[in-house]
Amino acid sequence: MTRADLDEFRERVRDWCRAHVPKDWRREQTGVSDEEFVSFQQEWFQELRRAGFAVPHWPAEWGGGMPVAEQVVLYQELAAHDAPRLVLAFVAIHHAASTLLAAGTDAQRRRHLPAILDGEIWVQGFSEPGAGSDLAALSTSARREGDAYVVNGQKLWASGAAHADWCLLLARTDPSAPKRRGISYFLMDMRTPGIDVRAVRQATGESHFCEIFLDDVVIPAEHLVGPENEGWRVAQRTLGAERGMTMLELAERLGNGGFRWLVELCARPGPGGARPLDDPLVADRLAALETELTGLRALCARLVADEDPGPADASIVKLYYSELLQRMTDFGAEVAGLAAHTALRKPLSSGWESGAWVLDFIGSWEWTIPGGTSEIQRSIIGERGLGLPREPRGS
Amino acid sequence: MPAESPGLSELHDELRAVARDLLGKADAEAAADWRSIAGAGWPGLEVPGAFDGADATFAEVAVILQEMGRAAARGPYAAVAVLGVGVLNLLESGPDRDRLLRDTAAGDAVPVAVLEGEAMGETSFRIARTARGPLLHGTADFVLDAPAADRLLVPALDPDGTPVIVGVDPRAAGLSVERRPVLDATRGFGRVAVTDVSVPPESVWRFRGDPQEAVRRLRDRAAVAMACDSLGLSKAMLEATVAYAGVREQFGRKIGSFQAVKHACADMLVQVSVARELVAAAVRGQAGDEPGAAVAASMAKSYACAAAVEVAGKAMQLHGGMGYTWESGVHVYLKRAALNRSLFGSPALHRRRLAERYSPLARERLDAYGGSERSLS
Ligand SMILES: Cc1cc2nc3c(=O)[nH]c(=O)nc-3n(C[C@H](O)[C@H](O)[C@H](O)COP(=O)(O)OP(=O)(O)OC[C@H]3O[C@@H](n4cnc5c(N)ncnc54)[C@H](O)[C@@H]3O)c2cc1C
Repeated sequence: MTRADLDEFRERVRDWCRAHVPKDWRREQTGVSDEEFVSFQQEWFQELRRAGFAVPHWPAEWGGGMPVAEQVVLYQELAAHDAPRLVLAFVAIHHAASTLLAAGTDAQRRRHLPAILDGEIWVQGFSEPGAGSDLAALSTSARREGDAYVVNGQKLWASGAAHADWCLLLARTDPSAPKRRGISYFLMDMRTPGIDVRAVRQATGESHFCEIFLDDVVIPAEHLVGPENEGWRVAQRTLGAERGMTMLELAERLGNGGFRWLVELCARPGPGGARPLDDPLVADRLAALETELTGLRALCARLVADEDPGPADASIVKLYYSELLQRMTDFGAEVAGLAAHTALRKPLSSGWESGAWVLDFIGSWEWTIPGGTSEIQRSIIGERGLGLPREPRGS
Repeated sequence: MPAESPGLSELHDELRAVARDLLGKADAEAAADWRSIAGAGWPGLEVPGAFDGADATFAEVAVILQEMGRAAARGPYAAVAVLGVGVLNLLESGPDRDRLLRDTAAGDAVPVAVLEGEAMGETSFRIARTARGPLLHGTADFVLDAPAADRLLVPALDPDGTPVIVGVDPRAAGLSVERRPVLDATRGFGRVAVTDVSVPPESVWRFRGDPQEAVRRLRDRAAVAMACDSLGLSKAMLEATVAYAGVREQFGRKIGSFQAVKHACADMLVQVSVARELVAAAVRGQAGDEPGAAVAASMAKSYACAAAVEVAGKAMQLHGGMGYTWESGVHVYLKRAALNRSLFGSPALHRRRLAERYSPLARERLDAYGGSERSLS
């Protein structure tokens, strides 16, 4: 692809954004009901799909096939035009799809990939009360009975489970095998009897993540992904698979809207009447943040372009993004002062930065805790990235 | 430097134990009953014995404030004991003011000083001479616990430009207190707007000493109160995290055995220890009305309130997904810590005030009261 082709593509995306990004969606998505959020997300997903922008990272035969360089441009422009984020479809188009593409059967792909394009919603049911950082310690059991499995246990922190049609489920099929060897990977229909979903309220006051109680839930054997007891390997292969482009999208958002709002905040008169920006310390912090954001965006661009990324590259990006998000929103909260504490709600469908700085700051732990905590990421970077001796891990 | 005499230290231990017990019993969703708080004698700690108070000092109030932070307690205690009583004690004696002090000690009055929570400039309230007699007008935003007050103590400039305090009934015609809900549900704020409220002469109270100085001292008290609260909540978060790290297991081990967790807890303790010393010095400064009180106040406020945000944030991180739930309550502390940081002067503002002392030209002037008025506006 030539430079000119890319420029032309960028123009096309810009035109499309100007015509299609809903005006005023941030205001309208603040304080909306669950139903309104879901229907807004579904509509936006279909809008993107019609333009060929919903699943650009999928293979061409399933409706994707966009070159990586164009995907980068697409996410840059969506961020620059402050488009809503695909929050609801996230697990479906990334984790579910990459799992199916990497390890699913043909029948599973035909069953689910087109359905995902039509709006099928997925949730990831990996973590459990006793298995967070140590995911392999999970104890939800799946007992083979004829051509089905009977599942019992409890999943915790499943984001978006209340709206999900299907669940990516890890369960133990061989309790006698070493921890990682006895786990299998299932696709679970959320309408199956025996599934009880309860929303858990989180620090921001919203209730997006859920507990899932599984009581004799029957999963047909055809919903097993990969061989029995090979679930850990399937999960490992697909967990980090989508990290590059999704991180690039988030980094672009933080670097665009997020930073712009911060500058705007600093350029407005503050509580004492003075503009924070006129304080050299504030100006210095802004410049430092812009520099860090530039570094983050470049890291992400390199990660997606790299055919053979290093074993810790995804961890470096995840760690840096999440902690930069935390520092930046913390700074926003400090500069904005008490007024930022009166923003009791933030717009749904946004990125992790919304301009409601205190809420954004609290919400930043939603990045430093899940998907491998910052502490775990540092161990991965030290061990896999630098080859340092491993931490003692107990059993 | 000895922190406190042995007798005092015992008294404080006792006060602390009673406070922990009383606040521990309170429903997390509601303020401890004002009657029981008054019954414990806390609002009257600094009220003179002549008005049935305990004749104690800010050092004792500080013990309660720390416990309030530790419990993330609701209710107007800080607004009343630190600001309300603080203002009244700075005023000339008079029948209304004396009665109010007495009622406050008894728990029969809830007076709140109308101080801007954030903009630390001069008061916007003015008394104007009019044909209808003297009228008060002005506004103040983010007034701590204004909605809970049954008497508002409004700092205003009288027609001659002298700072005075006007005692106003919150239900007076022309006065409105609009609630300002914030993320930290344990705290209440109001926006107080006054348009042409008539001011009978007996409701105008004069300061005993230099009025400008009195208003500055009040701000320092408020800043130190926030530092106490933040220190208390930091301690609570440290203890909760250490307890959790000692029971939560992953990879077959207590998570506290991982250096990443252990070192983070150690850093929290280091921060809490430094904050404790700075707060103790600031409390002594307030209690003894010492010359370096303003400097100590700014140091304690900027350090303890910034550290508390970091400590509560680490607590959330080290509790993992559990820490991010509403139910765990860590968010209550993180929100309160973030709020304390912005209330009564941000760390940046207080550090600016400290830094102004470095300029040789300004030194002499600043040494007089350890901070400049200009830096507060
Ligand atoms: C907002 C949110 C959304 C989530 N969404 C999902 C979802 O959709 N699906 C899903 O399956 N899960 C989800 N999770 C779960 C998430 O992946 C786990 O919370 C995370 O892996 C941490 O596990 P834990 O909560 O059990 O904490 P723990 O593992 O108990 O960790 C507690 C603390 O100990 C530290 N620690 C643990 N082990 C070590 C070690 N070996 N070395 C150093 N430090 C260590 C951690 O870093 C952390 O600070 C979500 C969590 C959150 C908060």
